[in-house]
Amino acid sequence: MPGSNRSAAGSGPRRAEAPPPSVALTRFARPRPRGLTRRGSQRLWLVIFLAPATALFALFTTYPIVSALVYSLYRWEGIGRRELVGLENFVRLFTTFPYSQLLLNAFWHNVVVFVVTMLAQNVVALGLALLLARGPWGAKVYRVIFFLPVTLSLIIVGFLWALFLNPVFGIVNQLLATLGLAALARPWLGDTHTALVTLTLVNAWRWLGFPTIVFLAGINAVPDEYLEAARLDGATEWQVTRHVVFPLLASAVTIIVLLTFIGSFNWFELPYIVQGVSGGPNRSTDVLGLFFYRMAFGEVDTGLQDIGVGSAIAVLMFILLVTVSVFAAGWLRRREVELA
Amino acid sequence: MTKRTLWMPLGQLVLVLNSVVVLVPLLIMMLSAFKNTREIFQNAFDLPVVWRWENFTRVWVEAKFALYFRNSVVITLASIVVILVLGAMAGYALGRFRFGGNDLLYLYFLSGLMLPLRLGIIPLFILMRNLRLLDTPWALILTYAASGLPSAVFILTGFFRALPSDLDSAARIDGASEWLIYRRVMLPLVRPALIIVAVYNLIPIWNDFFFPLVFIHSDRLKTVPLGMTAFFGQYYTDWATLFAGLTLAALPVVALYVLLSQHFIRGLTAGALKG
Amino acid sequence: MSRRVLVGLVVCLCVATLDPGAVTAQPPVKLTFWSWRVEDKWAYDKMIQVFEQRNPGIQVEFVPFKQTEYNTILSSALTGGKGPDIIHLRAYGGLETFSAAGFVAPLDFDTVPELKTFSRQMLDGARGRKDGKLYGVPFASQTIVVYYNKKIFSQAGVSIPKSWDEFLAVCKTLKDKGVVPIANGAKEGWTLELMAGAVAPNFYGGTVFYDAVTSGHTSFKDPTYTNALARMLELRPYMHLNFMGVDYATMQQLFLNEQAAMFMGGSWEIGFFKAQNKALDFDVFATPPLRGGQVPWVSSFNDGNYGINARTPSLDAALKFIRFTATREFGQMFTDMLAQTSAVPGVVITDPILKHVQEMNRKATPYMMLVGFRWQAPTGSTLLQSALQGMMAGQKTPEQVGDEVTRGLSAWFEPFRGR
Repeated sequence: MPGSNRSAAGSGPRRAEAPPPSVALTRFARPRPRGLTRRGSQRLWLVIFLAPATALFALFTTYPIVSALVYSLYRWEGIGRRELVGLENFVRLFTTFPYSQLLLNAFWHNVVVFVVTMLAQNVVALGLALLLARGPWGAKVYRVIFFLPVTLSLIIVGFLWALFLNPVFGIVNQLLATLGLAALARPWLGDTHTALVTLTLVNAWRWLGFPTIVFLAGINAVPDEYLEAARLDGATEWQVTRHVVFPLLASAVTIIVLLTFIGSFNWFELPYIVQGVSGGPNRSTDVLGLFFYRMAFGEVDTGLQDIGVGSAIAVLMFILLVTVSVFAAGWLRRREVELA
Repeated sequence: MTKRTLWMPLGQLVLVLNSVVVLVPLLIMMLSAFKNTREIFQNAFDLPVVWRWENFTRVWVEAKFALYFRNSVVITLASIVVILVLGAMAGYALGRFRFGGNDLLYLYFLSGLMLPLRLGIIPLFILMRNLRLLDTPWALILTYAASGLPSAVFILTGFFRALPSDLDSAARIDGASEWLIYRRVMLPLVRPALIIVAVYNLIPIWNDFFFPLVFIHSDRLKTVPLGMTAFFGQYYTDWATLFAGLTLAALPVVALYVLLSQHFIRGLTAGALKG
Repeated sequence: MSRRVLVGLVVCLCVATLDPGAVTAQPPVKLTFWSWRVEDKWAYDKMIQVFEQRNPGIQVEFVPFKQTEYNTILSSALTGGKGPDIIHLRAYGGLETFSAAGFVAPLDFDTVPELKTFSRQMLDGARGRKDGKLYGVPFASQTIVVYYNKKIFSQAGVSIPKSWDEFLAVCKTLKDKGVVPIANGAKEGWTLELMAGAVAPNFYGGTVFYDAVTSGHTSFKDPTYTNALARMLELRPYMHLNFMGVDYATMQQLFLNEQAAMFMGGSWEIGFFKAQNKALDFDVFATPPLRGGQVPWVSSFNDGNYGINARTPSLDAALKFIRFTATREFGQMFTDMLAQTSAVPGVVITDPILKHVQEMNRKATPYMMLVGFRWQAPTGSTLLQSALQGMMAGQKTPEQVGDEVTRGLSAWFEPFRGR
């Protein structure tokens, strides 16, 4: 990569290390124009600098997503596109059995995943962050430990916990038995009532370190003067936390909520690994991601695809995700400006 | 002050508890890798009676772990190189030049942060097929590069913008060409950002399972996650081999993480922390 | 590197590639062979060795995938214009998906003369429904049976039940002795479909009902069928306590570790069970009918075919291999090593357990959903599998299962519309 083979000191005019960037709009570097040729050559350079990235991004990101929206308006036979049929795929998705049921079922499950993750993962993460912010003994070690599962592949996490949660041979039920809680032992991933929540908790186990670190950074960013001032005014620790720290965590919270939302509705790998493409048992772990994949790439028993319905599902997910993301991003921007 | 001292041991307890919840499953995974299947069923929590290193050799040979590892390394490195090269160029242009459409282009790249590329998998699949890139590493490299550009542009534009404004003007007066200014003056100064972008994308690309699942069908091109899935599919009754495989698959990333934890943490949360 | 050195290297390379000695060796043709038979890899590798010895210059690599992922992975690969040279294909509707899309090369008696000797029933499972062409070499027929552990049975003092009530009594005795009577679980829907295939035919009347429902004279709402499904509920107390979470691998482990006495499954397990636990003393019987004295029905089906990818670059080599799989020699190796009933005619069955299966097959009925209702989406199997999971979890009644299956199938099976 350019520049990397230089010595650490860098070359050319020596300057102090660049300060960390801030998001607030800063002044642009103004190039000094020296006549039209300079301008013209700079235009050329701009294109050279921007074109490759823009082209790559447009071809492999924008084009597929836009196409996916367009594809939903056509009839498909296998992978061959046939005639334009307008909203017929959507009608089929929303009204025919079993698609309508599967869609609602999967969507509801995504909502459940979001709520459970917010409670089990993000609230716990906040608590851990608050604890770590106090600088207890071993905080640095704890940080490294908590973040470790985030680096693990979901394949590993999925298979590992599937083995642990096996109702006959897995250690979870064995552990419960040793603790005298054998009555609680159940087929965690096989019981239609517990499978989804169990899977969501496994997901939370894997991701917990991430919001913890983000919240921790946010808490540490609160200027000490505010905390001191509040304490001098006689506030208890809890009041300090609630009235000084929390409001200033707003942007971190929004980001985490947004990422959790996107992750919950995009959820695919973990249920695929642990429960299989069907989202069993009895569709109790079926989510939009699995439903989409089944339709797009073929059912388990026959490999039959239905790309029309698959594209329609993609459109729905897209609308949902983009709408919420745009709203959240806009809201975040406004809050930042307020608090700046 | 007494309240404070009460919190401390309680807080420690919670932290220790969470550490246990995090570490114990991984420890059991590693210990089980050394047992045989019957022992795993019956003595799940004990230390292995005999330390069976042959489980690992079996995984290494039969799971073709070296092959998948090499593929993962090549694809991840190539993707990161493309992301850094193209992202830095775009970030530089967006961060240091004033032109109509600068804001728009910046937002265009940023939109990629929120858009799930996976929803476009069908057209992407068809596109790769038409370009004859299916079942080649390029299908993955180009996809990863495209999906990594938004974060790269986001982070690098910010860093470039923050550099002092007279830096490049001074060099221009001296008659240096644009490319030299970029390469010799600007780029070295955003090195921390390059590292952040690299780390931010490294783990998700290395661990990715979805795109290899769709694009790669030949065994010799599989990456570690996909290869492991195929392997587990074959040995689903052989728990000893399964655990050995899991441990082996986790080892590279965990080892790297333990060595460079600060970089990893900083890099992976960069998108949320804004530097 | 100096330019001279570079030029020198290039020259050497050119000379090396022009060396006549390097050109004479013809690279071997490599064929990939995909399958879902993970457990049979060792046998296929051996049979391939025999083929490779006879055909130097052709190498075949057997690549199996987990059964629940196989169809999706195969579909995706073929759609992308890739995929294996030799494809292990399903039969009936499972074949139709791929043959109708043009992914499989049609065969006929000229290119594969060995096919002339196969039975018509087998060949029907290798035909495309739309064009009637043959798309593969049938490889095996499978039957759904009840495996039982002879040692556990004799220790508990029970013998093969002759009627349904006797069967339940046997289960109860086994359970009282502390053994899990039936290893089956419900986590993977297809294993429940298997269980239905083992239990239901006696109660819905075998082939008579099959003909009625496939011709549209009745539907799955018919009480004959739903009452047959209800019988599965009677077996719940005799499955593992947490059977809802027991997946296929765990089921097999339960039976292999002798923690369970019986296993309702396909005849393909015979070879696998023997290989995994040589000390296991087991045999098979057919689920007994309601009343003793009647010969029980067993579900059976053509398990699939070996086919050629229509886009394979090595058609000649692939054809050679396909013809090899249609020979009696291959069929005999197949049956001897894997204890499965080869579709190749004239194969002699020596395995005693497989012989029992052969006898049971005298009263065989088609395995309902796989044979009759997998032609389009949603397939009968998909619908039945998740509905049965709900039923076994106590969330659906058998009538609701029948209703769901009929309703779902009516999307493409016209006789079911308006029922």
